[in-house]
Amino acid sequence: MLEIIRIHNELLGTYGDRGNADVLKYRAALRKIPARVTEISYLDPVPKSGDIYLLGGAEDAAQILSLTALRKGSVLSRAANKGAVVLAICAGFQILGSRYVTRDEEIAGLGLLDVETTPGDRRLVGDIAVASKLFDQPLTGFENHSSVTTLGADALPFGKVLQGNGNGVAGVDGAIDKNVFGTYLHGPVLARNPEFADLLLERAVGSTLSAVNDELAMRYAMWRRALIK
Amino acid sequence: MVSPRLRFAILVAKLASATSRLVGNKGETLPGRILLAIEPEAISLLAQNKEVILVSGTNGKTSTTRAVVSLISQLGPVTTSGSGSNLAWGAANALMSPAPYAVLEIDELHLPGIIAQTDPTIVLLLNLTRDQLHRMHEVKRVADRWHVECTEANETVFVADIDDPYINYAVVNAANVVRVTFGGRTHPDGAVCPRCGSYLTWWRGIYSCTCGLTNKEYDLKFKKGSAAYRNALLANVVGEIAGAQPVEFSESQLERIATKKIGDTTAQFRLTKNPASWTEALQGELQPEVILVLNARQVDGIDTSWLWDVSFKTLKGHTVIVCGERALDMAYRIHVEGIEATVVDTFDEAITKVQGGVVTVLSAYTAFFELVM
Repeated sequence: MLEIIRIHNELLGTYGDRGNADVLKYRAALRKIPARVTEISYLDPVPKSGDIYLLGGAEDAAQILSLTALRKGSVLSRAANKGAVVLAICAGFQILGSRYVTRDEEIAGLGLLDVETTPGDRRLVGDIAVASKLFDQPLTGFENHSSVTTLGADALPFGKVLQGNGNGVAGVDGAIDKNVFGTYLHGPVLARNPEFADLLLERAVGSTLSAVNDELAMRYAMWRRALIK
Repeated sequence: MVSPRLRFAILVAKLASATSRLVGNKGETLPGRILLAIEPEAISLLAQNKEVILVSGTNGKTSTTRAVVSLISQLGPVTTSGSGSNLAWGAANALMSPAPYAVLEIDELHLPGIIAQTDPTIVLLLNLTRDQLHRMHEVKRVADRWHVECTEANETVFVADIDDPYINYAVVNAANVVRVTFGGRTHPDGAVCPRCGSYLTWWRGIYSCTCGLTNKEYDLKFKKGSAAYRNALLANVVGEIAGAQPVEFSESQLERIATKKIGDTTAQFRLTKNPASWTEALQGELQPEVILVLNARQVDGIDTSWLWDVSFKTLKGHTVIVCGERALDMAYRIHVEGIEATVVDTFDEAITKVQGGVVTVLSAYTAFFELVM
């Protein structure tokens, strides 16, 4: 059973990122891979047995609460070290970094990605497109944040920004380290980009997936790609 | 005493209104814009001699404003803003009327400014949930602005549905508040205390925080019910404070619904514009055939990610047709939930696919106005 863990959706669920779990489960089912989505609230312990952990976007106070809870026990860091897949969007991405600075305080992140986030001078809102070396085609999404994320020496960008802002610096979006993925793309990103969902499933399962023909998914992804400016 | 500049501004604005109507516009935005361009203080000057009542919130503004208008009409002539024109110029336009009462629907981000300018007698605060996040950014950001202005407005009576923690926070330091509860309800974005940032404790729609924010303490309690029912009661609370006799509203008067005959088909339209209103609509009565219309223009919210926070499973077993500028976003969302729809480009095409005599149409904001108004 593929265990998909949706972390703190009541806190990290402001921008529809819960859909990433639904798409993973759906595309696993197309391959007859049994998968289960488990919701973990702020009050629950994070299970150690997850294959894929998902974190979404959040408002500021919610983000700090989530980070505080995840720091206890370091379950996420240990799971990632053992090769579990982690996909973190926006505030979730910032939580995974080494440091997170707000207007009021400076907080140590979980340290899964070598990035630092600081307040920006404007809100970055709108359609975004990113070219990642992991995919033949650009990825599309929607961004809505006001922070700037800087990559450290150990982090690789998730992709190059074709449209929009991403990290808000250096023309890149997100960060990756082995199976840990951070990005600013909402949409949800896996609904807009089924090839990204498949990559995460492959990493979690450890083998190549059979090809599927989900015509509507392809049509949706292609239509959004055709609108990249 | 009306200043010469204000009098001139009103004259020009009224001329513009007449011209605008001649060419078929409803004529509410343009005159208000002209008025404010010539006399930037117009709203506060015009509000001085009126009893002003404001209505704001994410959902239910327009229909609740209509209900308050019908209540206040018992007391004397009422001016109001037309449906949807809830920004500053809509308010300015309505205030040009000589009527002694003004009942205005106000956009959430414009509310603090309009309170400061009109010094209203009563402000009704309905709810705050996620909507148009590309513009609002965060629910908390809107609530913070309300909180500051409500705390300042010492002469105003706030009628607040405190089952919504954001509304409770907005009025928590206000001088005059009628705190209304309907016995609690869940809130889609209410995990964190908007006042102190702690994790709120929820139990069956009742919340409490270590900082003291709770809906256990209230001034008025009613039984649980739909959004339309709640808004009818809230409108009556406003009416009672203003001195009007209670009026019974049917639920359909308090919902953004409309029925239209298109050829042989009766289309029952309902406005659905954000996770809360979609969820409310999908839990209501649905015909065997349902058309979903999705756009993503500015007032619809240009990001469609929120579709994934709505459960569409009540559509299972229905025949679903999807149209609108963002039809594919909707079609793929419900596809993953196990609901297959027919996708077409336009509403005209969608209606030709309907087999039976009656169809439910759940429609985004801009489409609702184009199709119904």
